[in-house]
Amino acid sequence: MTTTSVDAGLAQRSAPPTHPTAAPRRRAHLGRYLARWLFVAPAILFVLVFFGYPIVQNVLMSLQDYTTTTFYTGEAPWVGFANYATVFSDPVFVTAVINTALFTIGSIVLQFGIGLGLALFFKRNFPLSGFLRSLLLLPWLLPLIASAAVWKWILDQGSGALNGFLSIFGVQPVPWLVSPSLALIAVIGVNIWLGIPFNTTILYTGLQAVPEELYEAASLDGAVGWRAFRYITWPSIRSVVSVVIVLGVVYTLKVVDIILGLTGGGPANSTQTLATWAYQNSFVKFAFGQGAAISNVLIVVSLLFALVYLYINRKGVDE
Amino acid sequence: MTETRALLLAGQPNRAPARKWPMTVLGVVFLAIMVFPIYWMINSSLQANSGAASTAWFPIHPTLSGYAAALRQQGGNLVTSLIIALSAVVLTLVVATPAAYGLARFRMRGMTVFVLVLLITQMIPTIVISNALYALFNDWGLLNSYLGLILADSALQIPFAIILMRAFMASIPQSLVEAALVDGANNFRAFLAIVVPISKNAIITAALFTFLGAWGDFLLALTLTSTPAVRPITLGIYNYIGANVTQWGPVMATAVIASIPAGVLLIIAQKYIAAGALGGAIK
Amino acid sequence: MKKSRTIVAIAAASAISLSLAACSSGSSASAGGKQTLTVEDYYSSDPSMSGYNSIYTSCGAEVGAAINPVHIAGASLIQKVLQQASSKTLPDVLMLDNPDVQQIAATGALAPLTDFGVSAPAGDVPGVLKAGTYKGELYGLAPVINSIALYYNADMLKAAGVTPPTSWDELKAAALKLTDKSKGVYGFAMSNINTYEGTWQFLPFLWTNGGDEKDINTPEAAQALQLDVDLQNDGSMSKSSVNWSQQDVNNQFVAGKAAMMINGPWQLPVLNATKGLNFSSVPIPTRTTAQTVVSPLGGETFNVPNTGDKKKMGLAGKFVACLNKPATQLKIAEISGNVPSDQASAADWAKSHPQVQAFTDTVKTARARTGELGDKWPTAATAIYTAVQLALTGKADPQDALKQGQAQNK
Repeated sequence: MTTTSVDAGLAQRSAPPTHPTAAPRRRAHLGRYLARWLFVAPAILFVLVFFGYPIVQNVLMSLQDYTTTTFYTGEAPWVGFANYATVFSDPVFVTAVINTALFTIGSIVLQFGIGLGLALFFKRNFPLSGFLRSLLLLPWLLPLIASAAVWKWILDQGSGALNGFLSIFGVQPVPWLVSPSLALIAVIGVNIWLGIPFNTTILYTGLQAVPEELYEAASLDGAVGWRAFRYITWPSIRSVVSVVIVLGVVYTLKVVDIILGLTGGGPANSTQTLATWAYQNSFVKFAFGQGAAISNVLIVVSLLFALVYLYINRKGVDE
Repeated sequence: MTETRALLLAGQPNRAPARKWPMTVLGVVFLAIMVFPIYWMINSSLQANSGAASTAWFPIHPTLSGYAAALRQQGGNLVTSLIIALSAVVLTLVVATPAAYGLARFRMRGMTVFVLVLLITQMIPTIVISNALYALFNDWGLLNSYLGLILADSALQIPFAIILMRAFMASIPQSLVEAALVDGANNFRAFLAIVVPISKNAIITAALFTFLGAWGDFLLALTLTSTPAVRPITLGIYNYIGANVTQWGPVMATAVIASIPAGVLLIIAQKYIAAGALGGAIK
Repeated sequence: MKKSRTIVAIAAASAISLSLAACSSGSSASAGGKQTLTVEDYYSSDPSMSGYNSIYTSCGAEVGAAINPVHIAGASLIQKVLQQASSKTLPDVLMLDNPDVQQIAATGALAPLTDFGVSAPAGDVPGVLKAGTYKGELYGLAPVINSIALYYNADMLKAAGVTPPTSWDELKAAALKLTDKSKGVYGFAMSNINTYEGTWQFLPFLWTNGGDEKDINTPEAAQALQLDVDLQNDGSMSKSSVNWSQQDVNNQFVAGKAAMMINGPWQLPVLNATKGLNFSSVPIPTRTTAQTVVSPLGGETFNVPNTGDKKKMGLAGKFVACLNKPATQLKIAEISGNVPSDQASAADWAKSHPQVQAFTDTVKTARARTGELGDKWPTAATAIYTAVQLALTGKADPQDALKQGQAQNK
């Protein structure tokens, strides 16, 4: 049985056996078959309307000369892959691809690492751990516009709180958002800050589901600390880890608001990613066809990543 | 990652709380770093003329005028946000919970494809969706309505909720459900009576994420509404900032107030997640 | 079993609440037999929102229409307009930022104002007519306009013994003298951000020196950009200016961290409200004293979209004419801090409001951003801020930066 599911762990379970027998049984079988689909039917409907329709529109748009005029007249001449050609030949494209890769890898590695660290840390049930863990989610509750504004102040070179703090140790003001070489690092840092609550919460919930007896049994065999993590914790939370990483990458690839709020893709395109560039093409330059083309490139990249990851992960489980 | 390792090497949980206070201290330090920007937000909300250039480290002369202005102007939007976010949670769970179970339990070919489709939905930029929805909602008369925003917010959260719950439901032993089926319950009965209670934690986690997603949504609200009739708080803040912000105090005060209801719900939900019922039920 | 029943109950309750929610969102009723004009703008926060509402109501009364004002938050107005255009739900009267008029007019979504017998008031400054005209037809009229000038902190200049600069050399010298590193005070601040705001702030230097948006790879443009770079490299302007919006610049000035700044008259209410801030403004310095300052024209035009309802469109035309009468212009100037488009009114206005003198002088010669390139302006504007950013971040020298910018300017 092949599986393309997020958590390949499911592959271990087999499908319910089917019994090809007499007609009444067959009718009952059909009924059961339909009943099963009823569980999923409303979700399928939602997905078709709210995701299927937009994606089809976006693909069509990327193949048309879609301008502001199109909105009014509805006329958009077919141009084949001309929008893609324009996008690929633009020097900003290469910059955006590199930035997107750095932004995504940097964010995911640290978000996941810190998130897992915190999840393990909070699992140890020290005094006030529950309370502190709830507070950890605070960054998430704030409207993103407000977070971006606050971070922009904190990172300000001249009067920002971060440089104010560093100056206590004699550090010269750091041009966090101003220097083209630091701006991307600063933006990644803020994105990590935003992503930690997500990672910690899901991983913590995953850790909660690991039966305590497993650890007790393992400790009898001398597996504690790192070994316990390697042989018990990690395999147990593996499917949750898959979800966190795949979704993390997919969400990070399309981050727009925090970058727009902090640097607007600047200075000099040093924080321009495919997502912000798509936004700029569509809604600042009104080149909707090109904007759609970039979005589609982004979606394909996400898809490739997800497929490759799932493939590797499946291998891992089969071992 | 070294930090993770150090924690792991520290050994198995021991049950003497008295010896664990140093960990609390460490936790407070982690947290202080994480919530500093929030302190900064509260700090500036209490200062009359705050902004990038002029926020002091401490609100030495605190003023609540920002909060008064925020409540007066944004109180209604706060209620709107609550209605939308809570309704979106209910709708999302109603659609996503059975779907998550169906996908976790019934291994039919179409369903594995659908799981992949769910993943693909998460790759589509929200702006692409909101643009297409505008035209659709205009035809359906759903612009500027609660129902429209609730549907759209739920739709955006449903795939994630399914993916999340499915990952947990996959670990429910088949035997539990089959026992109920043998007792004569149909699939749906078994789902409600056995799967839902066992999956309480996963469902609450999904509810939490849905709430936060709907609560923090800004792009959909921006696209699908244009009148003050239905205006969530995020849009209220955006309008507040407008073309030219002059006073950040009230804006930050609004942001702080906006996070209170969500914060309360979060702390309540956290208790359930911490209870570890899922792990317990499978034993 | 109890639990499952609870869930069913919740589901049922939610269905009810959903249907209730659907009912509560009715459409706004029209007033009495009168026609209702929907007016869409981006004045989404007070005081300008309520100020404009009252102006709309009085002009509505004058033309015999009820008014339904819709305020869209600034950055999303164009997006909303395009969506409305595609779904045929355009408002009856639409406000647009003047550089967007030609872009929207080019789509065919706007009706020429002359169709309704409306023409530009005779006394309006020439830039207004140019900004509202696309392919020879007038599509929009701005009742009030603005531009940018050099604000200075009078106390700081006095303490340093500096007089307001009139030439670039004086500007550089004054900025250097006013800079006090130990207090974190910079002599000069402007917005060099990677948006059209950054372009807008750089234009006075570019245009005054004879530069042009059609080809920015010229010696004149290089001189202007060199000034910007010099101010930063002298330490007189913060390196953060590449991330500052005009609002951030104003915040720096208000906080006493910048002695001079480039900004517009819309900041006057905040500046006046700041206790202990003693400020004034002069037109932006020119490279040589022989040059006349050429600043970009700012301000929002009112337009009549093609909604298909001829009768309402005629009424909307009258409404736009009413907004642009010199008497209404003065009222709008009062609530917005901007300058009336009508020159005679502007002169009167400057007498009673000496703070706006620098702006009333500047707008007379102000140039419309879309005057030359029309709906191709966004590309040129992007090229300009790209060049500015490249030069200020040290990725290229001014000449090379402009060359790279021009490469995108097609």
